[in-house]
Amino acid sequence: MMKNILRLFVCCFVLLVFHACVKEDHYDNSKQGNYEALWRIMNEHYCFFDYKKEQLGVDWDEVHTRYASQVNEGMNNVQLFEVLCNMLAELQDGHVNLSAAFDFGRNWSFYEDYPENYNDSIAKLYLGHNYMIASGLKYVIFDDNIGYVRCETFEDGIGNGNVSSMLNVLSSCNGLIIDVRGNGGGQLTNAEKLASHFTNESILVGYVSHKTGKGRNDFSTPQAVYLDPATDGIRWQKPVVVLTNRAVYSAANDFVKCMKLCPNVTIMGDRTGGGSGMPFNSELPNGWTVRYSAVIFYDKDMQHTEFGIDPDVSLSLSGADILQKKDTYIEKARVFLSEK
Amino acid sequence: MAWMLLLSLCASGQDASGAVYITDTTGFISSLPVNKEVLHSTIVGVGWANVLDTYLSPYNYKGTDIRIQRESQRMTTLWGGRVSNQVLIDVNAAFTKNHARNLKEYAGGIRYSQGWFYNFGKGNVVNPVERSRSRFNVAAGLAASAYLGGIYIDRNGNNPAQAKADLMIDVSAMATYDMVIARHHYLWRYQVSAPLLGIAFSPAYGQSYYEMFDLKHRDHNVCFGYIGNMPSMRHRLTLDIPIRRYTIRLGYVAQFNQSTFNHLKYHTYTHDFVLGFNKYLYRK
Repeated sequence: MMKNILRLFVCCFVLLVFHACVKEDHYDNSKQGNYEALWRIMNEHYCFFDYKKEQLGVDWDEVHTRYASQVNEGMNNVQLFEVLCNMLAELQDGHVNLSAAFDFGRNWSFYEDYPENYNDSIAKLYLGHNYMIASGLKYVIFDDNIGYVRCETFEDGIGNGNVSSMLNVLSSCNGLIIDVRGNGGGQLTNAEKLASHFTNESILVGYVSHKTGKGRNDFSTPQAVYLDPATDGIRWQKPVVVLTNRAVYSAANDFVKCMKLCPNVTIMGDRTGGGSGMPFNSELPNGWTVRYSAVIFYDKDMQHTEFGIDPDVSLSLSGADILQKKDTYIEKARVFLSEK
Repeated sequence: MAWMLLLSLCASGQDASGAVYITDTTGFISSLPVNKEVLHSTIVGVGWANVLDTYLSPYNYKGTDIRIQRESQRMTTLWGGRVSNQVLIDVNAAFTKNHARNLKEYAGGIRYSQGWFYNFGKGNVVNPVERSRSRFNVAAGLAASAYLGGIYIDRNGNNPAQAKADLMIDVSAMATYDMVIARHHYLWRYQVSAPLLGIAFSPAYGQSYYEMFDLKHRDHNVCFGYIGNMPSMRHRLTLDIPIRRYTIRLGYVAQFNQSTFNHLKYHTYTHDFVLGFNKYLYRK
């Protein structure tokens, strides 16, 4: 009797294990198969469908029908790539990209459709040749005793030591300009580390929510995100102006979101580019890589910043200033800080 | 069998130091207390791997696997001396590519397990050649195992890697068969293990590691694992071949580790051909 029970148990165990194989989903490396794979990856992982439907009228099911008819097995890879990129472009999301060996599919309308409001040649004149660099942050003190920090990216690691050392050098300044124009993002932790030197208390800066399943509405309960003050080094107590344009995106957009809530900070310039979804990567059967927004970062009022953050003071680069090799943004910020 | 006989020509039946050594396969002092002898074995292997982790990619990655296992076994005094103890450290690393062969994924980890096995009948799976009255021996029991590993994919993004960790109670069984050819003992060993229940780490479906480790947000990251959502099995078949006072071990290790947590699918299938040695040592 016991032997029979034991045998039965073993048989059930083995059957259960072998029946419960965890396998990859069926894939098809044809043109149609790759199209379907891309649509499905986005359908199951992309986090802004509701928002994009509300803002842009994008119906992802309708998009599938419309573009499926453009895919056939007779087309070459370049043609397929173009169709797939056109489909993704419907979402108008700078974090949505398709990468192949021969091209990088993107929709950069968030800044390409707007005035740049930044002239690199002129901005370099302000830095001169004797500027200092602390982990990618270029900084200088202007003649009117205003500190200027040029932050081009958040890709480079920023440590408390870097920021504190920089702020120590700038400590005699009456005010500080942090120029993030053209900053396309990088690591969120770098952005938050820099912002943490401009608050003395913990600030609620937003909420975060991720997908919990394949359904388009499967999201976690939004959890609060706080900006904590830097515990090591210097915390800046004087007026600060952050300069922005449409090319401020992703982690830089998050930086502006945080700085806007810090005391003594004024955001000047153009609306930021947005990009509030944290991007993940996946791939198609043919090896092309797709990037998509996967995690939603809301602001403190549970509003999206996917399409940017408005400045406190709107500015445009003046043509007359450009002719005089002056940067309207920097000049206005200097006047603003001098009057504080 | 010819190669086995050839190997046996090298086998020594006698230790130079005296009569206490048994003259056949494993060269152990059979007069010592049975719970004091410890079987140590080390094997290294190479084979192939098939890795799937849908947090990183929806598709299988396939490639080469390398494996090292360090094992020690001994009989204990528990349950009238019928219980044996096994400590197994299992390390593997897999180097794989996707279907299109344009992306690489690296997977690996270390599993430590400590198991207790009831030896049925008059058997002894630790040293069956010299300690058992039966050619065929069976033992079964439970093991506590801990795994720590990860998978890394060589493309940028916020999901370039996946951590793997679990603490499990495994059910395990082993059998030995003492095959005698020309008075030499060739010992077949087979072991199968499967996780029964425990806890495992997993991110939520679309949760980033930034949320978990920088913001300290949790979302079902410690999952209850059982045979239903971790239908895994680990097999090991080896043959101990005596050569003088040493024993080399040849074998095959197959592992089918799978899980489905938080709608994320994971598997690592590996098949390794292993080679190593084992030796009985006396424990004071």
